[in-house]
Amino acid sequence: MSRRSVVRRALAVGLVAGGAVACAPRPALAQEPVGEANSETPDAVQEGGQDAEAGERDAGADRSALTDPMEADLDARAAEVAGELRCPVCRNQSVLESNAELSREMQGVVRERLAAGETPEEVKAYFVSRYGEWILLQPEARGINLLVYGLPGIALVLGFFLARNRLRKWASAGTAGTGPEVEVLSEDDERWLRDALREGQGTRS
Amino acid sequence: MKKKHLRWLLPLAAVPVLWLLAWGMGRDTYVLPSPMAGLDAPEFSLVSFEGDTLRRSELDGRVVILNFWASWCIPCRTEHPVLVRTEQTWDDSEVVLLGVVYQDSRANAERFLEQYGGDWTHVIDPSQRTAIDYGVYGVPETYFIGRDGLISMKKVGPVTWDLVQTQVDSLLAAPYPTASADAVTGAP
Repeated sequence: MSRRSVVRRALAVGLVAGGAVACAPRPALAQEPVGEANSETPDAVQEGGQDAEAGERDAGADRSALTDPMEADLDARAAEVAGELRCPVCRNQSVLESNAELSREMQGVVRERLAAGETPEEVKAYFVSRYGEWILLQPEARGINLLVYGLPGIALVLGFFLARNRLRKWASAGTAGTGPEVEVLSEDDERWLRDALREGQGTRS
Repeated sequence: MKKKHLRWLLPLAAVPVLWLLAWGMGRDTYVLPSPMAGLDAPEFSLVSFEGDTLRRSELDGRVVILNFWASWCIPCRTEHPVLVRTEQTWDDSEVVLLGVVYQDSRANAERFLEQYGGDWTHVIDPSQRTAIDYGVYGVPETYFIGRDGLISMKKVGPVTWDLVQTQVDSLLAAPYPTASADAVTGAP
């Protein structure tokens, strides 16, 4: 099992155990119940007892997952897929990590579809057909998306060649001696310098 | 020579940045691209406040305005007068306005309607399966569905009267052969 899978499984177990992961602030237009319009909170009076159903479902899944390895495998696969889907009302949180009501229902849809025999790819394709590719936390490596995966590598290679060329130029500039120019002494000056040196040696001795 | 290149390079690099800025400032951020536009509106079977089961396919042949809303949603109050006007403008045999109550109770929704008015059909979406099937992010969200059952547009946020009028007029003007409607609904 990959390290990522281990992390996702740990998250799934954490959520089932009741570890609430807070949902980040949602986009301005994607409103969720706040209970300010009515005294009754939507959760408390949801028609058809949605939360009660969800609770029973979770509890049922928890119970059966402990005893049935098939159920445990289904839960793990559902967690894997939910971990790759973006929570529509959160910021950069997966459906698995989010505790938003919509995300919880999406987790239910994922599990139901996998239980009905769909592959993880088919389940993801269903959500992409409804929400667009935006729903995938990692865009598919095809079409224009290849730029996302390819550009960093291309930039790295280009940067390497650019740096190499620049370094070579600097190195060759150093060996060519293009630094401060050295004036060559004229014959008269050279003779004067030689005489001066000789005189100096004579004085010292 | 090199400096001449640089003199052009900097303004050229600014062009895509400025273009992106202009594009971002010019677009309507309330209109989100939806992969559902142009596709068949997903089937649903939802129960109305009156206890009747309503199926999407039963509405073929009429323009459908599917409005996801909730009593706790503040922007839903803003758009409500537009929906009231919509209901009053077109006959039910031409245009169906259908409210889908999202993450809310029937009691709260009814109280909202008593306060703000509105006499069109509302259905409850238990477990938000229909909302997920339509790719709903939050409320209000409105889908304009043609007489052939194809989604023409999805609007995120409150609808305006201009938008409703434009959409409905263009959908009513679109040709719709009655025979194909029978074929879609499976009617004999």
